[in-house]
Amino acid sequence: MNAAIQFNNVSLSYGSKVDPVEVLKGINFSVSSEEIVSIIGPSGSGKTSIIMLASGLETATEGSIKINSQEIVGLKENNLSEIRRKNIGIVFQSFYLIPNLTATENVLLSLEANQKYNQEEEAKKLLSEFGLSHRLDHLPSELSGGEQQRVAIARALINKPKIILADEPTGNLDSANSQSMMDLLFEYTKKSKTSLVMVTHDNSIAERCDRIIEIKDGQIV
Amino acid sequence: MVKLFDTQQLRLINKYAIRDFSRSYKKLWVIASTLFISLLLLSLTFSVKEALNNEITANSKELLGGDIQLSTGIDPLPDLIVDELKTLGVVSTAIELATMVSSIDMAPVFTELRAVDDHYPLYGEIVSSPPGSAEKIFSTTKPMVLINESIQNLLKVKVGDDVLIMGKTFEVAGLVVSVPDIAESAVFGEFAIIGKASYDKFELSSGGSFLDYEYRLKFSNPSNANEQNKIVESIVAYDDTIETRLPGESGQRLGRVIDNFSNFLNLVSVSAMIIAGIGISNTLLSFVNQRNTSIAVKKSIGFSSNFIQLMYFYEIILILITTSIIAYLFGVFSPLLANELLPKSLGIDLQPTVSLIGYLNIFFIGLLVVLIFSIPSLYSISEIKAVALFRNTFQPVSLNFSLKNIVLLFILVVILTTYFVLQTEQKFYTVLYFVAFFITMLIFYGVSRLLISFLKKFHKFSSNGYRIAHRNIIAKKSLAPIMTVSLGIGLTLLLTLSFVANNLKQEISDTIPSMAPDLFFVSIDRDIQPDLESFIKSIDPEVMLEFSPMASASFISLNGTPIEELVSENNRSAWVVRGDRRISWSEKPNPDNPIIEGEWWEPGNENEMFISMDSRAAYDLGMSINDKITLNILGRDVTGTIKNFREVDYRDISINFAIIINKAFANKLPYEYIGTLKSDVSSNDILARVVEQFPNVSAIKVDRILSQVSGVLNKIFIAVTGISLIVIVIGLIVIVSAVLVQTTFRRYNNLIYKILGVDFPTILRAMTIEFVLIYLTLVFFALSVAIAGSYLIVENTLQLTWRFDLGLTLWILLTTALVSFVMILIANKSIFSPKVYPLIRNE
Repeated sequence: MNAAIQFNNVSLSYGSKVDPVEVLKGINFSVSSEEIVSIIGPSGSGKTSIIMLASGLETATEGSIKINSQEIVGLKENNLSEIRRKNIGIVFQSFYLIPNLTATENVLLSLEANQKYNQEEEAKKLLSEFGLSHRLDHLPSELSGGEQQRVAIARALINKPKIILADEPTGNLDSANSQSMMDLLFEYTKKSKTSLVMVTHDNSIAERCDRIIEIKDGQIV
Repeated sequence: MVKLFDTQQLRLINKYAIRDFSRSYKKLWVIASTLFISLLLLSLTFSVKEALNNEITANSKELLGGDIQLSTGIDPLPDLIVDELKTLGVVSTAIELATMVSSIDMAPVFTELRAVDDHYPLYGEIVSSPPGSAEKIFSTTKPMVLINESIQNLLKVKVGDDVLIMGKTFEVAGLVVSVPDIAESAVFGEFAIIGKASYDKFELSSGGSFLDYEYRLKFSNPSNANEQNKIVESIVAYDDTIETRLPGESGQRLGRVIDNFSNFLNLVSVSAMIIAGIGISNTLLSFVNQRNTSIAVKKSIGFSSNFIQLMYFYEIILILITTSIIAYLFGVFSPLLANELLPKSLGIDLQPTVSLIGYLNIFFIGLLVVLIFSIPSLYSISEIKAVALFRNTFQPVSLNFSLKNIVLLFILVVILTTYFVLQTEQKFYTVLYFVAFFITMLIFYGVSRLLISFLKKFHKFSSNGYRIAHRNIIAKKSLAPIMTVSLGIGLTLLLTLSFVANNLKQEISDTIPSMAPDLFFVSIDRDIQPDLESFIKSIDPEVMLEFSPMASASFISLNGTPIEELVSENNRSAWVVRGDRRISWSEKPNPDNPIIEGEWWEPGNENEMFISMDSRAAYDLGMSINDKITLNILGRDVTGTIKNFREVDYRDISINFAIIINKAFANKLPYEYIGTLKSDVSSNDILARVVEQFPNVSAIKVDRILSQVSGVLNKIFIAVTGISLIVIVIGLIVIVSAVLVQTTFRRYNNLIYKILGVDFPTILRAMTIEFVLIYLTLVFFALSVAIAGSYLIVENTLQLTWRFDLGLTLWILLTTALVSFVMILIANKSIFSPKVYPLIRNE
């Protein structure tokens, strides 16, 4: 089976060449399709940087990153955008819904980015499945934190991506909301046969994953 | 990736842009309002200009008074020639002369009198009040005259009263409201019409050179006009001093005035638009920064920067389309308003014209300005990184001036400038204006950077108010650059125009009257000149009286080349060589006209003509000492040699001639006199007694002319200053928008100050100090540029003495400061009492 994500000797550093800040050092790992992986580690260890690199939103200083066997290091912004559109859904800790779009419009955005037009019913159906049928035309400011994160997950899933990257998706939620949110994410990831890479501080959530990758000081432990 | 013709993508952009626009239009009000005001100004100018040009073209025959016009100067056409012309159609004869019109107990009025036959006008009609009164001037029972409103007011006469013209009594038949062939004196001065029969019967001619015979033809067969024009020209070909004019040339002078004024308005409009552009740029940048997160989310989903840039650009284009259509429609109907403002005596009835080209013209200029100012803001979108979503650390982006953008902006600025230059007759001045404008913009931007770096180095005051002001000015989002550029340019324009206007007004109201004579006698028969001089000296023995001989001549060639081939229409001194020109002669040089090149001639030598030229005209026309000039004097071509150039100061309105010839040669010429008079006795009294004794003498009251000129100038400068105020208004809107953009940042700062114990008066003091520091800096440079600019215009172009008016300067600066500061305070009102809770909760 092909790896959905493949990191080969990936390093990331910031700052000057003389005195660089090394964030990641020689990271090697792969994630198979339909595999659910959690990344854990202390703050500042480089967990989020792995998600940033895998999404193509950050560029590795060294090494190779493949998404569905396609090398993404060195690609231009437009090509990276295309890979992201076709392969990846991202869930952020702070939800990041667009404030002047309704819940449905926020989800539709993802479809329209992928040139799938007039699929409002599809978006509404997914949101209803997420228990938001009464919030379809509400703006983010009119939704609770849990509801906002459901919309964010729906936005990531609607396009049926091959990979979901989630950066502490329950970080801003209480424990009850966290559990139901994770149930939802796991259920839909499995149902749609999608790989999930999730950064989390919560061991109980990490333990529900197929595999755990632990990072410390920019290296896999 | 956005493909140019991907209709689905374009639909998506349309959908997103319209949705975004409808939900955040309040944040785009600055773009909409500043664009609208500047486009409206441009549209008004274009529409009124187009309507005036259409009116001139559509009524060219009315403006000329016929299908062709012949001007023969002081001599009428021989009867044989007139008869020959009559075979082609109807011939109307008119005689124009300058004379005095008087009434009992009132001082005589210098008037342009037109004597017309009963065919007049061949096209259009004389509009008179009461209606039908125009017909009465052809009455054979009693001589009648139509006078204009100005004469009525000056002589205090009404319809049915008697007036005296050259000692003959005429009854006022009515008031002339307008004539189809516009008489300038009917608009700005004194104008009267009598029947030609009365003119012939009373032998009213002054016999002087201020007389013009005009013949107009209405062809029997107008469809073959070109052919018939050639026949007319061949009939009068025997005399090359006869001038012919065709309908296309009839409104040229009015057209030139319109072109010049509309060109000025266009430049002011584009200045306003460029300042509006600064607002657009600033608003867009803050718009992008406010949408930092949304843009990053869109990027994380897979939208490219190009797509997002295009979407926001599309929003701006929607605003441009909407505002330009509204501005254009307002402009289209502005000729109806202009009809109300134009003098009725012009007889002009402007009509609104809707044209796609007219609209596209405005839209294209707006598009160029929008492109120039939105590119650096919209390209900043590419600097927004979606990785910030993971870290929740958003850095505000700034204007993107990459090399590619700079090249693109340069090309767009060149296109904008070229587009404007190609539309105007005054190409050189338009280019000069644009260059000066962009340099001034750069100067003001540099000034703001200078202030910031100066304050960074020197901040020795310990007062809290000053320290907060200092911090605000040197902060990254300082008001200093935008306020200095947008208010600086408007203020510079206002100060420059006001200085020029004020200098001109002072010249007309103070300097010229102190130098000028009280009366200017025109066209005095040489036989009565000695009697007239004695008569005036009997009234006031101390009178300063000066008479000069004068003959009429027209310029034929310079060094054998026809003058029309050498001198263009736009030449500043073209008036010297065009049409009839009065020349004089003298044996000795006039001390008031110093010779600056060449030498005066020796007395004698009656067989050779020597010429002394006004130096400014000579240099403008490309003349040199010893060049040969051919003049037509009384139908005979005479060639003379230029011997010297004189510096002539026309401001004293004394007897000044551009061309003076040697007396020995001129003695052979028939001539008349002109004269000036300055006396302590009332000029009205002298004039009344002179006209009573010498009915054929005409004299202009100089103070009357000056007050007329002053009145017209006042109206023009009120309009010009009003228009330049629009630039300031747009500048203020831009500043207010910049203030509003900063509100969140300043509110947060003020909250921190509040928490630290800084009170409201200190914050207000800080704002005042900040404003004063920025304003004083921009005033220093605005004043410097305005003084330099107005000095160059006044001293070099107008050739007057430049003077500084402290009172006017202080009035403009203090008023602008007050209005600006109040506007800034109003825009800032929400920061004076920041609500603590939402800010602490980071809402």
